[in-house]
Amino acid sequence: MSYTDELVTALGKEKVLLDPSEKFVYGADWSPRTPDEFVPPDVVVLPRTTRDVQRIVKIAYAHDVPVTAGGGLTGMLGGAVAIYGGIYIDTTTMNSVVEIDHKNQTIRVQAGATLQEVNDAVQPYDLWLPHQPESKWVSTVGSAIACDNDSTFGVRYGKILNCLLSAEIVTGTGEIVELGHRKAHFTSSGYKLKDLLAGSEGTLGVITEATLKLEPIPASRIVDMLVFPRMGAAVDYLSRLLKAGLCIEAAHINCKRRLRFYTHSYKQKYGKDPEIPAWAEALLAIAFAGDKEVVETQRGYALRIAKEFEAQLVEEREIVDAWWASKYTLEFEPFKQKWPDSQKQKKFGAADPGVPVGRLEEFYHKFVEVAEKHQLEIIGMNAYLEHPNSIGFSLSCAVFVDYRSPDEVRRFREFHDELSKLAVAFEGTMSTFMSDTYQKAPYLELEHGTSLKYMKEVKRIFDPKGIMNPGKKFPREAGKR
Amino acid sequence: MSGLEEFKDELETCFGTSCGFCEKGCPVYQSMKVKTLCMKGRNRTMLGLIQGKFEITPAVVQAAFECTLCGNCDRWCSLKNTEHTRAFREYLLKHGVEPIKEHASIATSIRNYGNPWFQPRSARNRWSKGLNIPKAAPGQQEVLFFAGCTSAVTKNLNRSLAASAKLLQKAGVKFGTMGQDEPCCGSTLQRVGQTEAFEELEKENIKKFKALGIKKIVTACPGCYTTLKKSVEKAGAGIEVTHIAQEIAQQVKDGNLKLKKSSERVTYHDPCHLGRLGGVFEEPRVIVSAVANLVEMPNNRYESRCCGAGAGLQSAFPKLSHDLAAKRVAEAKATGATTIVTCCPFCETQLRTVPGVKVADLLEFLLDASELNDRNNSQKGRAN
Repeated sequence: MSYTDELVTALGKEKVLLDPSEKFVYGADWSPRTPDEFVPPDVVVLPRTTRDVQRIVKIAYAHDVPVTAGGGLTGMLGGAVAIYGGIYIDTTTMNSVVEIDHKNQTIRVQAGATLQEVNDAVQPYDLWLPHQPESKWVSTVGSAIACDNDSTFGVRYGKILNCLLSAEIVTGTGEIVELGHRKAHFTSSGYKLKDLLAGSEGTLGVITEATLKLEPIPASRIVDMLVFPRMGAAVDYLSRLLKAGLCIEAAHINCKRRLRFYTHSYKQKYGKDPEIPAWAEALLAIAFAGDKEVVETQRGYALRIAKEFEAQLVEEREIVDAWWASKYTLEFEPFKQKWPDSQKQKKFGAADPGVPVGRLEEFYHKFVEVAEKHQLEIIGMNAYLEHPNSIGFSLSCAVFVDYRSPDEVRRFREFHDELSKLAVAFEGTMSTFMSDTYQKAPYLELEHGTSLKYMKEVKRIFDPKGIMNPGKKFPREAGKR
Repeated sequence: MSGLEEFKDELETCFGTSCGFCEKGCPVYQSMKVKTLCMKGRNRTMLGLIQGKFEITPAVVQAAFECTLCGNCDRWCSLKNTEHTRAFREYLLKHGVEPIKEHASIATSIRNYGNPWFQPRSARNRWSKGLNIPKAAPGQQEVLFFAGCTSAVTKNLNRSLAASAKLLQKAGVKFGTMGQDEPCCGSTLQRVGQTEAFEELEKENIKKFKALGIKKIVTACPGCYTTLKKSVEKAGAGIEVTHIAQEIAQQVKDGNLKLKKSSERVTYHDPCHLGRLGGVFEEPRVIVSAVANLVEMPNNRYESRCCGAGAGLQSAFPKLSHDLAAKRVAEAKATGATTIVTCCPFCETQLRTVPGVKVADLLEFLLDASELNDRNNSQKGRAN
């Protein structure tokens, strides 16, 4: 019996998609690729339970077939694209809430629930999951963990790992394992194996359920934007605010060019890009949240200090609101959502390195230089604080990519690789929110050196046959299909 | 170039973006959780098809037709997604796909009976009996009340048409109807991809309206509203098209109707064609608020969820269609409302298939409140 027949027997016909048109739909994510670069899997399965996933992986294990699990397919570097074919597990069919423990501020959900679905479920308890990427409407809990993507509110709450208490996975042998510390908010017991899941890209197993820590919804929030003559001045300012003891909820430094990408609704409304002072090189968007009085006090203090850093407040609220709509609320005019509207000619493509704080400005100039060398139109850099209450950035170095042009897509990939390698040379990291995927796999050793050997050993324990999302993080072993 | 090829750029833009924001509000996707049935997946299917990556298969046909064309995906997007889907259906029919049998019968019925429901033309006369409404004649009326097939030939929907007409009369509006000569607007034909048949019908309809010399068409059905509005605009016919809710809301605002407000909790369901696709949100709410305590469902106005009846889904995929209705009714019940008010014959019929809450037509609801007020006033008069 073929493995697809076994899947049909195990799951039922309605949970197995074999038609070429159906498989095609699951063959691409958000990453820059030409319209004919779809990589359809050989079969798509729609599990409803962890047991379903176990059945799927056991069949794959027996037949030595690749297994790639995915959620919203909004990855920006092909992490959930089944590049070696095989079985694609669409986890979005597993989106039930298992338990809400509002006193403990935790939720247990199936991993295919979107981040928005989690927030819809817990909002009646005045709680929220603060891990909020721009793709939150579509990005699932499982894919947020597996990709270790970014969050708007990282400087206060961190990323998904800061919310993750425990997760259930199905390993590459089909074993169901719980990693973590149940509903306890932290532990000193055992090895912290659940931490391996953040950014694991499904290479260790399929995440099927997760217990997440929630936070109380702040009663109010104020977002401001300040302009600085230099990017370094914005960094110094943020360090000063943290030293002062302020509790910042969101902090994002945009280079001057990047602002335009985030003010789509402003342009829609006024027919022009927002104007900022000619001398300004960096814009800092900053949010405080909590009780109104506390927010006002903190904001007042922050604005007072700003003068010491040659900063100027952006008074035109529409600019700030447009940026915030793009970054968080996603409240655009009906029929004018930013994403497709801003992507009609060329699409967004990025590298996601991290560099030491003191070298941010230097790296910014390198980014511009590398983008220009590869003849790519620059969108700009966004540096956002992603670690709770401390300085440290995720960098989004973004360019427009004419995805209809194979040559430009190739140049984008070269640009991405060059910046990733440069970040290592800067004593930084290649990835801060998109993970490694197949793109960085060939040169991962640059960053991890001999520790890569240990990573491969870890992978082997969870996935001895190397069937889980092969080709991601490490090139696939020779001899495999 | 086929209709679908015209959208190639848009299909590629959707592929290039791949944000998937259309998934959140798509009633079919949220019910089925299969990506081929959300707009992002459907756009990819269309792209693959015109790229020649695969042949037309039953799964392709399902992706095209398992959609209510409710436009929720368009609300979250700047692409013309519902137009893509309509063109997708047309493409399939042009490339040899047999119409789904329930949809094929619609065209036959419209051709033979002038309505999609195999009812004799004379059935259109039933609802207006005893109302003394003049039949529209060339140059005699400026306003035409357009009843629409579904309400006109379905007995238990007749009352809503009578209510609309009575309210127009109470407000002193002079109007006529076409009686059994009223044609089908062709909405259903268009939405199931039978474009040629629709365009033929559309031309005939414009000729008829022009011959009557009318200046304004007031439709009872939201589907007729969006379809006729586009048809007269395309033909440059110089005829205004409004929905009955717009006409009556104005009368309510002008104080031309004597009404008494009750404390009943009532929620309003926006029909897709009137709301998201037609842009009419506030007028029905003016009416409901004038006579009851309006409570909103979480998904309202642009975010309203489709009842599941539209674009041939009810006839071809009844189980899915019913699931969508059940979800919408559950949302309504959660508001604590005792009644769902709507103003579309499809929504009304569809929502009534789910027990547990009263479903009322907007105009009937208003007329009842207005008559109740009249009765109360006359009783008071007698008591005095």
